[in-house]
Amino acid sequence: MAVITLFRRYGTLIGFFAIIGFFAWQLPDTFVTPRNLINVSQQISMLAVVAFTMTIVMVMGDFDLSVGSMASLAGVVAAVLFAQGFPVWAGVAAALAVGLVGGLANGFLVSIIGILPFVATLGTLTILSGVAFVVSDGRTIFGRDIPSAFSGFARSGISLEPVGLAGLSLPWLTVIALIVLFIVWFVLEQTIYGRRLYAIGGNREAAKLAGVKVKRLRMSAFALTGLGAAIAGLMYASRVASANPTQGSGLMLDAIAAVFVGMTMSEEGEPRVLATLVGVLILGILDNGLTQMAVDSYVREILVGGIVVAAVAFSSLSKQTR
Amino acid sequence: MSLLAIDNVSKTYGRTRALKGASLTVARGEVHALMGENGAGKSTLIKILAGVVAPDTMEMTVDGRPVALRGAQDAFDLGFRFIHQELNVVAHLSVAENMAMGKPCPRRFGVAVDWPALNAQAHAALDRLGVGHIDPRTKIGRLSAGDQMLVSIAGALSATGEGARLFVMDEPTASLTGDECDKLFAVIETLKSEGASVLYVSHRMNEVMAICDTVTVYRDGRHVATKPVSETGKDQIIRFMTGRDVADAFPPRTTPVGERVVCRVDDVSTEVLCGIDFALREGEILGIGGLANAGQSELLQMLLGLGTRRSGRVEIASAPGLADPSDPWTHGVAYVPRERRREGLMLARPITDNVVLPHLTALSRAGTIAHRRRERALTAEMGGVVRLKSDGLAQPVYQLSGGNQQKVVFARAVGAAPRLLLLDEPTRGVDVGAKFDIYTLIRELSGQGCSVVLTSSELTELIGLCDRILILLDGRQSEIVATDGLTSADLLGRFYDEAHGGHAAA
Amino acid sequence: MFRPIATMAAGALALAFAMAGPALAQSVAVITPYLAQPGTQFYVDGFTAEAEAKGWDVNVVDTAGDVAAVISRIEDAVTQSVDAIVINVDPAQVEAGLQSAADAGIPVVGMDAGSHPLLATNVTSNGYAMAAETAVYVANRIGGEGRVVMFVFDAFPPVQIRGVIADAVFANHPDIEVIDRITPDVQDGGIADSRARMEALLAANPEAGSIDAVWAAWDQPALGALQAIEDAGRADEGIVIVGMDANPQARDAIAAGGNFEASMAQDFVGIGARAADAVERLVNGEELRQSVIYVPTKLITAANVDEQ
Repeated sequence: MAVITLFRRYGTLIGFFAIIGFFAWQLPDTFVTPRNLINVSQQISMLAVVAFTMTIVMVMGDFDLSVGSMASLAGVVAAVLFAQGFPVWAGVAAALAVGLVGGLANGFLVSIIGILPFVATLGTLTILSGVAFVVSDGRTIFGRDIPSAFSGFARSGISLEPVGLAGLSLPWLTVIALIVLFIVWFVLEQTIYGRRLYAIGGNREAAKLAGVKVKRLRMSAFALTGLGAAIAGLMYASRVASANPTQGSGLMLDAIAAVFVGMTMSEEGEPRVLATLVGVLILGILDNGLTQMAVDSYVREILVGGIVVAAVAFSSLSKQTR
Repeated sequence: MSLLAIDNVSKTYGRTRALKGASLTVARGEVHALMGENGAGKSTLIKILAGVVAPDTMEMTVDGRPVALRGAQDAFDLGFRFIHQELNVVAHLSVAENMAMGKPCPRRFGVAVDWPALNAQAHAALDRLGVGHIDPRTKIGRLSAGDQMLVSIAGALSATGEGARLFVMDEPTASLTGDECDKLFAVIETLKSEGASVLYVSHRMNEVMAICDTVTVYRDGRHVATKPVSETGKDQIIRFMTGRDVADAFPPRTTPVGERVVCRVDDVSTEVLCGIDFALREGEILGIGGLANAGQSELLQMLLGLGTRRSGRVEIASAPGLADPSDPWTHGVAYVPRERRREGLMLARPITDNVVLPHLTALSRAGTIAHRRRERALTAEMGGVVRLKSDGLAQPVYQLSGGNQQKVVFARAVGAAPRLLLLDEPTRGVDVGAKFDIYTLIRELSGQGCSVVLTSSELTELIGLCDRILILLDGRQSEIVATDGLTSADLLGRFYDEAHGGHAAA
Repeated sequence: MFRPIATMAAGALALAFAMAGPALAQSVAVITPYLAQPGTQFYVDGFTAEAEAKGWDVNVVDTAGDVAAVISRIEDAVTQSVDAIVINVDPAQVEAGLQSAADAGIPVVGMDAGSHPLLATNVTSNGYAMAAETAVYVANRIGGEGRVVMFVFDAFPPVQIRGVIADAVFANHPDIEVIDRITPDVQDGGIADSRARMEALLAANPEAGSIDAVWAAWDQPALGALQAIEDAGRADEGIVIVGMDANPQARDAIAAGGNFEASMAQDFVGIGARAADAVERLVNGEELRQSVIYVPTKLITAANVDEQ
């Protein structure tokens, strides 16, 4: 009985450590090394930012399908401005503003107009993607159009020499993901704003009758998710030193999957941003480890999808038998 | 021989032991009442009988033969039928479609729905319940809550011909008017005469005394007593339920009503309400009375600033009319909604989160950062005020009994020492012991100067608790009566007929 | 009872390991975001066939369109210390990954990827030569004089160079007049808009013989122009159409023997095979002097369209 309770509560976490243990055993020389772990942290940083900020709307029981297109659009907007000779700060600011405004638009449709999040953000997904094509003329913007100050950002970081890791540095992309993680954690777990978002997720009608300004909060939460998507889009554009109108599209499903995997770690199935981090890490580590083990890409996709479904299925099974 | 005998039923949810070796025996052709406070284990027993909850232990015989119950289909095959307290209808489907749900449906050519036959079936079943006036083709969402309940009951009853032998009714009269109750009771008589048994779960003592043959009382998950109704009485049943003697009285007013006006409503009309006009003084308790759905809930929501006012003025706690449901809490107004599960509680979240929700800003650091220690302290203090029983403040609310869930909603409402408390059916679905706690609490708050507006479908509650009663006739304010010397019969008369107002004044 | 995620994950990973096979001395990672595209499949098939013949262990990684993931997978391959990496993506976009490979001393070879200082070499078709061959075909077929329509796309560098070469060939014939240089909208692949543009041009030049040839920088505009000409009932005027890349639809049109007369076939499989050769030379310690290795292309006409 006690063992079952333990697995029910910590099954996903145990699975996570089992995956790490498995790779550490199979790849003794290359997996648990500072360099590889730093690589992983940088590889997952963009997905992490999207997933962390996606958690904000999922706390309210909503979700946002438009984050992938938003990330692409933000990258394209910045790159187009760079190509026209605007300085780096201007391009970045414009991209972030686009994220904020797009997120507010999602929030307006969902909360003020009252469209289901699935339908509203499916619509904005298409719209934003179309705008990204129009803005970029359907082209990939790269090469000399991208200032080296911008593309260099993703290739540098804080030197880890002082902590005894000569030749290694903590990439800026990882640093940004950590900062976003801290901010989202603080907002959701430590502020009354976050408590109200969880209340809306718990029972929207009751929250409204208990004095929570539901419409305003939902709108602001979508704005934060949009802003997060734009940050991730900029990180992506910096990493690939280019921008095209579809490059962020893979982020959306992975981010939702990461939040879902994280939700299995809470007894009541609530999204928690630290649990989302575990979800992101599981996806990132599987990609990293399976590539190192030279597992076929398509088999890898089957495994990753299977593990997501298994985690969620196990969690809902254990809830039914409660 | 008994139809159903169960023994040694136990069920544990987490740390809560809902049933501890309880038993129940229902004879053929009897109406058997099952009573007990909220949390006594009645709901769990019903879920076990319905096959939706698996007991930890149970010995069960039907017609003297041991049977196993592995799921809802088994319960159906054994001839058990269930009528639940909570309405379970699909609002945009017709009455007939709702009644046919889950049953074989009459067909044409094997595939197409035979609508005339389906509607005729539904009409016959409704007619049997004396509500043949309900058109089976109406969308069920357009009917009143009482009519919806009657349709649900008719739907369950129409299954009699398919081997139904035991009807389990969980608070079936909760949303019915007196007239509608009588129709239901007539049907129960018919079922009984046809040889079926009824397990009748209710908090309403008078109904049990009137229609039941036998009563079984549970307390704390155990069987306490089973007696023929003719050999017991109200007082004894309450003693069985609570384990103590509870005075069937309301705590008397000990402090005078203040002079200052806290809430003034000037001739307000809305879509539903008309001519609402009263002034509420400090510490006064105003009841809102009337027949079911006469506009009681709408009146409270109007005071909260919900809905659109067509005319008139509302002034609360010397602030102008509230426009947004988030305003009242900051102006010292607190609200306990009618449907606590739908409108009041975040069931999966801890007690603390539910209690502090409207007070987060007041408790926070710098209006931004949540202050957990203060939140827990307030919850503990208010939990004490409302006499909340729980396994700790982090316990999710869904694990609590109905009465304790209601106390959580109350703890939230009294958390910021409100000056005006709006209570919509504050004792709905609450057991005797918790009811008395709630009455005491309302009196205490009133004694501290808090004004109260409350609705109730129980006449004795309105008379026993309130200083004055505002009577609504189909949304229109007909009069405000003082409760001194008012009898239940007099009050009920005023609900039906405006002329009574003049009669009482004479 | 023991059926949690942990078990499933471990089981799944054990399965993955079983499929991974033993690591050989020569291991090569082929990383592309575009494996689902037909051309890429031919490159990869050509490469793996050659590599298997050499007894190498090849790991093909598809990132399903995600270019940043190509960088991540290059980093993983570097961590794993493969002997060489082959990419099929614009190297400028994955520079971060190329740098980490360079730091680890692992050679990276491009298959039709573009030139880059951090690539040991790029194996591809010669776009200049291809364009020259079709442009010269047109010039010769119309006897060095006539009115020619060009379909180009200067926004995409590999196609832009084709246009430049054709411009030069036509400009070198004083009696050839380029009457329009059209950049079609390619959102739908390019056929529909090219057809519309060609219809407008035919309407503007109604007399028979007023258009002598259509030169297209890739097959889709050529196919659109063909449809426009046939539908206008001017298929018998002898307008010569040429495309490039020799996709299956173009081959059908050429085989039908109508106006669409020629296209250029790239040797995708050959590119893969030559990439494998380049890898072999690099792994053996040879320095490659050529930053680009060209694989011969072939002019496809009705005469040889049925050969494979």
